[in-house]
Amino acid sequence: MKIRWHFVGILLTVFLAMGLTGASSVQAQKKMSVLTWNIPYYEEGFKKWVVEFNKKHPDIQIERLDKKGTEWSTFYQTQVVAGTAPDIIDIQGALWLEYASKGGLLDLTPYMKKEPELARQFYPEVLKSWVYEGKQYALPFIISKTLLFYNKNMFKEAGLKDPPKNFDEMMSYARKMTKGEKSGFMTLNFDWLYWPLLAMNGIELLSPDQKKAAFNTPQGVKTVETLAKATQDGVINKISWTGRWVEPNDAFAAGTVGMFHAHAPAFLWFKSKAPWVSEETVGATHLPGGWSTPNSHSILISKSCKYPDAAWDMLKIIATGEGAYALGTGTNNLTGNIEVNKRLLEYFGKTLPVAVPALKTQLEHLDKLCGNWPLAKDAEVKEAFYPELQNALLGRKSPKDAMADAEKKVNRILQSR
Amino acid sequence: MAFRNLEYFKRDRTRQLFLIWFFLAPSLIIFTLYRIIPLFWNGVLSFQFWSPYGESKFAGLHHYEEMFFYDDVFWQVLWNTILLMGSAPLGIALALLIAILVNTQIRGRNAYRTIVFMSYPVMTVAVGIIWQWLYNEKVGLINYVLISLGFIEKGIPFLGHFGLALPCVILASIWQVIGFYMIILLTGLQNIEPALYEVAAVDGANSWMRFWKITLPLLKPLLFLCFVIGIINSFTSFDLIFVMTQGGPAHATDLLITRIYTVAFKLSKFDYAAAMTVINFLFFLGLTLLANKLSGGEAGAVETER
Amino acid sequence: MTQYPRWPIHLFLLFVSALMLIPFIWVLKTSLSGENIFSYPPALFPRDPHLFYYVDVWYTIPFLRYLVNSAVVSAIVVAANIVFNSMAGYALTRDFPAKRAMILLFLSCMMIPFQVTIIPAYLITKKMALLNSYLGMALPVCSTIICIFVFKASFEAIPKSLIDAARIDGLPEWRIVLRILLPLSKSAIATNVILAFIWSWNNFLWPLVIIRDQEMQTLPLGLSRFLTVVEDTTGALYAFCIMVLLPGLILFLLAQKEFIAGLTTGAAKG
Repeated sequence: MKIRWHFVGILLTVFLAMGLTGASSVQAQKKMSVLTWNIPYYEEGFKKWVVEFNKKHPDIQIERLDKKGTEWSTFYQTQVVAGTAPDIIDIQGALWLEYASKGGLLDLTPYMKKEPELARQFYPEVLKSWVYEGKQYALPFIISKTLLFYNKNMFKEAGLKDPPKNFDEMMSYARKMTKGEKSGFMTLNFDWLYWPLLAMNGIELLSPDQKKAAFNTPQGVKTVETLAKATQDGVINKISWTGRWVEPNDAFAAGTVGMFHAHAPAFLWFKSKAPWVSEETVGATHLPGGWSTPNSHSILISKSCKYPDAAWDMLKIIATGEGAYALGTGTNNLTGNIEVNKRLLEYFGKTLPVAVPALKTQLEHLDKLCGNWPLAKDAEVKEAFYPELQNALLGRKSPKDAMADAEKKVNRILQSR
Repeated sequence: MAFRNLEYFKRDRTRQLFLIWFFLAPSLIIFTLYRIIPLFWNGVLSFQFWSPYGESKFAGLHHYEEMFFYDDVFWQVLWNTILLMGSAPLGIALALLIAILVNTQIRGRNAYRTIVFMSYPVMTVAVGIIWQWLYNEKVGLINYVLISLGFIEKGIPFLGHFGLALPCVILASIWQVIGFYMIILLTGLQNIEPALYEVAAVDGANSWMRFWKITLPLLKPLLFLCFVIGIINSFTSFDLIFVMTQGGPAHATDLLITRIYTVAFKLSKFDYAAAMTVINFLFFLGLTLLANKLSGGEAGAVETER
Repeated sequence: MTQYPRWPIHLFLLFVSALMLIPFIWVLKTSLSGENIFSYPPALFPRDPHLFYYVDVWYTIPFLRYLVNSAVVSAIVVAANIVFNSMAGYALTRDFPAKRAMILLFLSCMMIPFQVTIIPAYLITKKMALLNSYLGMALPVCSTIICIFVFKASFEAIPKSLIDAARIDGLPEWRIVLRILLPLSKSAIATNVILAFIWSWNNFLWPLVIIRDQEMQTLPLGLSRFLTVVEDTTGALYAFCIMVLLPGLILFLLAQKEFIAGLTTGAAKG
């Protein structure tokens, strides 16, 4: 016993000594930090960016940070409060609106004006996604939007050939494929990804001035009623409304869902769980009407950045040319750059041919993007709307009541400070 | 009571006081820095409009008004929190039962003791992942067992079910902490003089009366300690909820603590979250004081009465 | 105590043990086999066990580095806890004017969960220039109220005669604590060590917020790496969980006898 405690004591002292002396060193060198969203494995390409960047700015050191989506905003905002916000940030979805509306992001419009040819490299609709109050805040990083995957085997079994052409057809196809364990339709639900189902029925979330809710219309209630009934009949898989990522993808991978409304990254994910996935068994097409909700990543600059011009150079490296190409190949995604995407599609054609149909859909019908309003209170509105929608679709409340309650809540949010 | 030797002078008393405060100082400093000051920060913030980008304006009772009169979610999460705390006695009672059984002279009591405690050192996130699998509708163990035994035909989506989700989360939470309760109560049991029981038995008391009249009263301070640990554990359930249900479906498993975090870091409304923090603090403080009263008033003093 | 039949007790305890153990067996099994996590029907025993996932964990994240970081931080936390908590616990055994207020204060500190203190704690740590450092990570948990009360109870159980005898002999207070009280409170110390270690080792949110250097991250932060790109869980994740769990478990097994006796009085019956 005595010997053991002595040993422990020595170990303890060593660790203590290390701890009390091992503080981080103070650097007098210029530093700029880049915070990415959940791509920790993306290392080679990142090094290429740094090398390219240091050619023009050898005196600035780049610090690499990466956080998972669930912790990203906690980390970022704490850093903001402390005054050490990461300079260049990669944000998924609409979170950037919160920071832009509070003045936390650098307005890129002056830079864009100085280099008009730069804007032409990107898809105009995609670039527009990141305009708030007339100012451009971001360049595209990785783009993705929803599409419709369909299980060709289940289609054949139900005697269907081609994908549906409108909402009613889609619902009837789904009903035909529903049998026992199998359901005809499923969708992802986070980040407004389900909105195309409502948009294709002509439902608007808000009035054009964004001051009032506009979804509580007879058509809105009718659509929700249709969806609710379909869910209760098992035509729309319940996981659509209760799952997040793993469950819906797993269900499709298990071969029990006829149509899956998800964004492109889902493809490689469920394919890894389903050896039966191939060009003959899974099709990728647009939702009827071409409607989709984007879930892209964008790259932005924090207002507190000390070297905005250098940051802008880094942004250009990331979003164009070889830098963007490295990003696409390193993460198996498409970027927002037209030329780079051409090369990427070629590349994927050789390395991941089975994914190409899904990827192709990402670049089509860019005029039918929905679910991406430039709304400063996007997160709050989403948070108020979706639980009520869930209530209606899962049979907890009648669609009429749910929509009315949602309208009340959303209006309150829009009107409050 | 400290025995006062008459030789102590007033000067010594001052020296004693100085020593006492000196001894209290390090802990006090840490709590002041990392608990009390943050609490005040939250308190001040709750009366302002503030954003991480600096601008702040006085808001008076705006946030509190919003919370009490317009925020359904607040009342829902408050209710969920009450339910969670209401289930703490259940976990404690179960742990007491296990402790009593392990306290008997059976073989392998050390093994049982260790096995029951093993769940506590596990990272809460890992506990969440494990239980998420257990509750899985398609491939989870619980559904498998229920179907095999013929109780149900199809898997129940436990964590997606409005009514069942919270009890399921509570169960996972109890699983994690029950070992801790058990150990505390076990020590308490071991401190009770066996002579007390023998005397009672001789006097004709049966085992139920012995439990009620001897065991329980002597364990009161420890039961209070367990309750306080239950409160702290409800804060730790934070990770559990974020991994298992993210507060859903429709806030069915959202607690005050998870709601505060969501509002602060996901909706960027730090000022509103601060107001909820203040209410959260007052709620639990009230709860603790109540539990203290019910367990005899010796706040945290883990002493056995002689 | 009257004799009760043993077997019902055993049966119940075995049932309870099974309930407590099944999740572990599942984690262990998944970490040892290459089976699809979501395969059905769920089997409790692996078909082809292998250590591949453990190796995977070792190489996917800088495991050793993270382990050392966690160890250093936990060492600081445990050492500080023992010193500070015993001091505070002793102080609370003496009578002094603000005693009730202090106890109330400590109790109410327990009602302040960590999540609501993130931003102020970060700012305070920044002011002290302790960001991104071991000490910064350790400081907020260097003292815990439960352990203070454990020490308090332990000290109060020591017969007054011993302490008074020492006083009459002229020993200064701090020596009384060091030479008499602490050695008789081994179980309180063991309790403190185990709890402080577990809480510090598993701490996730604070290191996440305060550490920017990859090199300084602690073990739990490596967890995100396994909840990979799209919230998947893999065998490596389970291997990781086991590897993180082991030190705390081993510590408990080593010190459990003392720990069990440590949570209330009874430390010294003479």
